Amino acid sequence: MISAGIDVGATFTKLVLLGEDRLLASQVVRTTGRVTEELPGLLEALCGEAGVDRSVLAYVGATGTGGTQVVGADFYEDELTCVGAAVGYFAPDAELALQLGGQSIAAVRVNGEGEVISFSRNDKCAAGTGRFLEMMSQRLHQPLAQLDALAAQATAPQDVSSQCVVFAESEAISHINSGVPVPDIVAGICASIGRIVASQGRRARDARRFTVTGGVACFESVVRVVRQRLALDFVPFPENPQLAAALGAALLEGDDGGQA
Amino acid sequence: MYFAGIDVGSLTAEAILLDGSRVVASATRAARANPLESAREVLGEVCRARGIAPGEVRHTISTGYGREAICAEGLAEENLSEISCHGYGAWCLVPRVRTIIDIGGQDAKAIVVDADGGLDRFAMNDKCAAGTGHFLEHMGRTLEVELGELGRLAQSARRPVHMTSRCTIFVETEVLHFLQRGHCRADIAAGVADALAERVAALARRVHPSRELAMTGGVAKNVAVRREVERRLGLPLVDLRFDPQLVGAYGAARLAAQRGGNP
Repeated sequence: MISAGIDVGATFTKLVLLGEDRLLASQVVRTTGRVTEELPGLLEALCGEAGVDRSVLAYVGATGTGGTQVVGADFYEDELTCVGAAVGYFAPDAELALQLGGQSIAAVRVNGEGEVISFSRNDKCAAGTGRFLEMMSQRLHQPLAQLDALAAQATAPQDVSSQCVVFAESEAISHINSGVPVPDIVAGICASIGRIVASQGRRARDARRFTVTGGVACFESVVRVVRQRLALDFVPFPENPQLAAALGAALLEGDDGGQA
Repeated sequence: MYFAGIDVGSLTAEAILLDGSRVVASATRAARANPLESAREVLGEVCRARGIAPGEVRHTISTGYGREAICAEGLAEENLSEISCHGYGAWCLVPRVRTIIDIGGQDAKAIVVDADGGLDRFAMNDKCAAGTGHFLEHMGRTLEVELGELGRLAQSARRPVHMTSRCTIFVETEVLHFLQRGHCRADIAAGVADALAERVAALARRVHPSRELAMTGGVAKNVAVRREVERRLGLPLVDLRFDPQLVGAYGAARLAAQRGGNP
């Protein structure tokens, strides 16, 4: 059986093809105002890449903030439910998933079956989210994908004292103007995000092992700080963590009330 | 006998020169990176306007960002917190005022003064840009509207939009979406003013505001924000009949007069 998962996130849209519970192909594109119109073509292209026909897909599951608008999806499921399902399948030892999205961070308690026991989410404030990295990428004129590599070059990370993205932006600009090397500023921002994520993770008091998912989980410089600050064992998510919610949507089959 | 108050904020710097307790000169300028330069500029400007040498000012008080450095440099004899200066300044202007909401470029404060204009209690937000002048700055830039025009524009709104977020970053995204969907700038500006007023009212409630309520700081010039703050708190705002941006410097100058021996 081959299924597809589509996660229309705040910043990026992710598509995956899952065959026999194995990732066959994936695609990540920026979420634009026209992304719903582009999706059928993207899905077609993804099928082509995997060498399967669109018609053999058992179902297409949709998730994410824009997931309800996916035309042709067989069901829509909440993002955190999908993350739970993906973690339960790909990293079953993890009892806590920190989902680091473009506009929110969530701490999801999952059981071994990938069911969500409880969660806490910050989607009211941009602090600690991918928006912080996006803003830095624009200010520093560096591609988002390059930021992690830049942070790795830091020799003396510049501390960022404000949590508020707007105030941190002012701080970063004054550091740029006073000649602080760019890698040190980026590393400081990543550490700041890591601290905020860790404090969200501490809300799940009874978890022993955790994993990180979502686009920001691709940033080693963020994850390292989260691991240092969170006194829990780390379970790596074996696939690209940015794909977690899409993978979950492809795994869920829409059989537990998610039928749209 | 001359007294002066200097208020250097994150976005603007102001000075007030008093002869006795009467305002004889004022200056407002965009803040420089170095607060000492800003202080020198605005103090120089008010002295020139009056035709006196800075040495003729008997007592000067600095407040705001870098107030201590300004004092250490010898540009002021004393420095006091913005909270004390805004509270006292508003009280001097209208002595029945007891609650002062000061919205600066980077922070916001709700201040309660006693019957003598002294500080009774306050609440402050300097952690989150929502509810500060920074928020308006961002939205002005996104809407491509001059900061000073936002309030008037919002007043001409016919179908104000409603922002669901409070975070500056997220409201900015909402503003862009409203623009894309063809909402007019006036309606969006009204939504922006209300989102800011909601934060300001929440801060004010923390000090249990009294009926005689005034607003100071640059954001107080925005008529739409004022109106929404009034509506949300169910309290009318006292008109100070004074540039709200200058109230901190005025309070500093009046305190300079009081402490520097104005007879």
